[in-house]
Amino acid sequence: MSALKTLLYVFVYPGLVFMFVYSTFCEWFDRKVYARLQNRMGPTHTGRWGLLQPVADFFKLMAKEDIVPEKADKTMFTLLPIFGLAVVATAMLLLPVWHFNPAAGGFNSFSGDIIVLLYLLSLPTIIFFLAAWSSTNVFSTVGGTRVLTMFFGYEVPLFLAVLSPALLAGSWRLAEIARFFQAKPVLLLVNLPGFIVAVICVQAKLERTPFDIPHAETEIVGGTFTEFSGKKLAFFRLMTDVEMVVSSGLLATVFLGGFPGGLVLGFLQFIVKTLFVIFLLSLLRAATSRIRVDQVVSFAWGYLAPLAVVQLFFVILLKGFVL
Amino acid sequence: MRIAGFVPELLRHLFKKPATVDYPFRKLEVPKDFRGTPFLHPETCIVCRACERDCPAEAIEIVEVNAAEKRFKMTIHNDRCVHCAQCVDSCPTDAMEMDDKFEISAFSRWDLKEEWEYVRAVVKPKPAAPAPQAAPAAPVSPSPVKPSESET
Amino acid sequence: MKFQIPIGPQHPALKEPISLRMTVEGEVIRDADLRLGYNHRGIEKLAEERTYLQNIYLTERICGICSHSHTTCFVQGVEALLEVVAPRRGQFLRYLVAELERVHSHLLWLGVAGHEAGFDSFFMYTWRDREVVMDILEMISGNRVHYAINTLGGVRRDIDEALRTKILDSLGILRARTDYYFKLGANEPSFVGRLAGVGRLSKEDALALCAVGPTARASGVAHDVRRDDPYGIYGEIPFEVCTADSCDVLGRTVVRIKELGQSYNIIEYLLRNLPDGPVAVKAPRRAKPGEVVSRDEAPRGENIHYIKANGSDKPERLKVRAPTLANYAATLARLKNGFIADIPLIFAAIDPCICCAERTVELIDGRSGRPTVVRWSDLRRRAARRAGRVSKKRNVECPL
Repeated sequence: MSALKTLLYVFVYPGLVFMFVYSTFCEWFDRKVYARLQNRMGPTHTGRWGLLQPVADFFKLMAKEDIVPEKADKTMFTLLPIFGLAVVATAMLLLPVWHFNPAAGGFNSFSGDIIVLLYLLSLPTIIFFLAAWSSTNVFSTVGGTRVLTMFFGYEVPLFLAVLSPALLAGSWRLAEIARFFQAKPVLLLVNLPGFIVAVICVQAKLERTPFDIPHAETEIVGGTFTEFSGKKLAFFRLMTDVEMVVSSGLLATVFLGGFPGGLVLGFLQFIVKTLFVIFLLSLLRAATSRIRVDQVVSFAWGYLAPLAVVQLFFVILLKGFVL
Repeated sequence: MRIAGFVPELLRHLFKKPATVDYPFRKLEVPKDFRGTPFLHPETCIVCRACERDCPAEAIEIVEVNAAEKRFKMTIHNDRCVHCAQCVDSCPTDAMEMDDKFEISAFSRWDLKEEWEYVRAVVKPKPAAPAPQAAPAAPVSPSPVKPSESET
Repeated sequence: MKFQIPIGPQHPALKEPISLRMTVEGEVIRDADLRLGYNHRGIEKLAEERTYLQNIYLTERICGICSHSHTTCFVQGVEALLEVVAPRRGQFLRYLVAELERVHSHLLWLGVAGHEAGFDSFFMYTWRDREVVMDILEMISGNRVHYAINTLGGVRRDIDEALRTKILDSLGILRARTDYYFKLGANEPSFVGRLAGVGRLSKEDALALCAVGPTARASGVAHDVRRDDPYGIYGEIPFEVCTADSCDVLGRTVVRIKELGQSYNIIEYLLRNLPDGPVAVKAPRRAKPGEVVSRDEAPRGENIHYIKANGSDKPERLKVRAPTLANYAATLARLKNGFIADIPLIFAAIDPCICCAERTVELIDGRSGRPTVVRWSDLRRRAARRAGRVSKKRNVECPL
């Protein structure tokens, strides 16, 4: 029975099927919001309101010819998309939604899981760089170096911003952080600057405008993904979608008070809060223009990092003197 | 510098109707003088060949089918047509006209050919234009511009 | 590490084929090279086999965006050769369409600049509002892109009172939107950060490299054919030549947005003072032998047509100098020591119309300096030889 339950967990909920359905839905939501913000229609015809468009895109790409460049590192080139998808799928399991027994720990909720989640969210960046490097295209190479350059800019502010609520809650476990803020919702306001910093950093991590520099199509064609086609590209796209769900889920956990209320209500909260974060990401994407890679680094270290540090200091002072 | 200066405009449009049209399912009206595809009213064509001569794309071809019956065949090669409507302007008897079709794609360029076979009409040309029967040989030929046409 | 990045002939930033080879070191461009000739269509040769009337529609197809500028330039020249003068109402309508075309071209450019900078919302909004002017053009002429409104001795269609009022009403919308884009473009930090200081072209360089149009005006060179050598009725229309002193891509954007405002004023003036009368006069078909140089200010800059007549109803020679060709030299100079990210912006800032600028290619021997003529059969032989060589080698590495 427990083996069946585990299989159900891994494959259906919260495993692969749910991950696929919800991440494609989030892509649809992002595309639709982005289009409506621009006074366009967005996906319309595949399924009701175009809901199935990302799914159709995925299966279309799966059916396309898969070309591996002759000079590419074939092992890396083939393995990286699968590895990337596996990494973000693992990260998704760590979100504190599907702990049916919050008091007990387990493989998906333990002290320090916030660090593991952040680490798993850093891996896709490395994977993008390696994928770009192993495809040996000039555009990919430029894209790969841009991925790494950006990485040095946004990663530290993101860590600082996400860790300050953890410091305030005095725990390294996502479920406990969420429960701390559910008990004292006023303290969520303290983290507002950190939330802004984190949203911008997540935007950079997901490589969306204004940070879509590694695959800026008007500059370096497909950038990182220039040589990827067919199944591999489909996997990378799905991976980006899942990454978006995971990172918005992470932000919703630490900055928006998590998902209390048991199985059904907690799940609804998860949907609403992640869609809210994704809406913010879409708005940011629509309201800005792409910046240069040197501007990313100077912006991240000139504004985001100091803001995150100030936030951290404030949290430490607050914890030391008030709480 | 204004941070997020675009956001109010974006949010204002979030629940507005999209500006785009769901094209193949809904179509916009074309204006009334739209230059679509040219066609011929064979009953008024006097075979002056002004359209054939002035067509910049050489899309109009008039051949004599039967000299005794004065039967002619006009072919409009819509694959070459550039939709400039010069033939309409050049025609002294208003036998050429443009419709408002713009979705004229076809699988083969030969499907785009349109033909009319007809007997030459004996219509008095307008007084403004010189005798069109002599047009192919005459050094000075009918005016490409018809002020009367452009006033409508 | 230096390596070469090919921008084009097929590249998402380019809507038309041109090849820019960038030698880059990291993100910095060290050298730029330009190769033309991917889109040569032989229009000048074709023009020699068409009558003047047919050539109007041919010159219209030199460019898809400034189609009216090319026909205006050509028709002005041919009218001088034919010794006809278009009636005043015809001229007013001709330059009305010219200014509407400038509006549509500059709005299009704004969107393209937004897209090249990755600002897709800006692109969507400017192009949405461009539809207003496209609809006006369609109502005046019957088509959206190739208006075909010019003819020898005037214009082909008249506008009625209802359309006149409608255009005047639409100007209000366009003015409001243009003001909004001016405020937005100058205030959105990420957009300004991309445009300001990029692609500097000093006034001296602009003059030395013969830049034209908004590119030159953004470097402080107040050069505008409409004012310096007024053609048609431009002598009597009040308008200003817009310039900027910042000499960068932001300056070029500002100049274009200011020119939009001037164009609205000109359109309003033309519509308010529209005289009565015919729109066209009859033009003869044959021109006396002679030659003429005709200039006009296209949205992208000065456009020059040279027409030589030999007494028949066909021109003996037509030479077109499109504004983009004049701006290439200035672009290449500006690309050096820029960032890769700035390539599309700097290149788009001249509003390149590549097929406009593709003219006859003359091959000059590098050693002797003498021009050579390459025949069609030679080209075929060369291509066959090259194809044969390639097919024998497997895994061939195509040189960039």
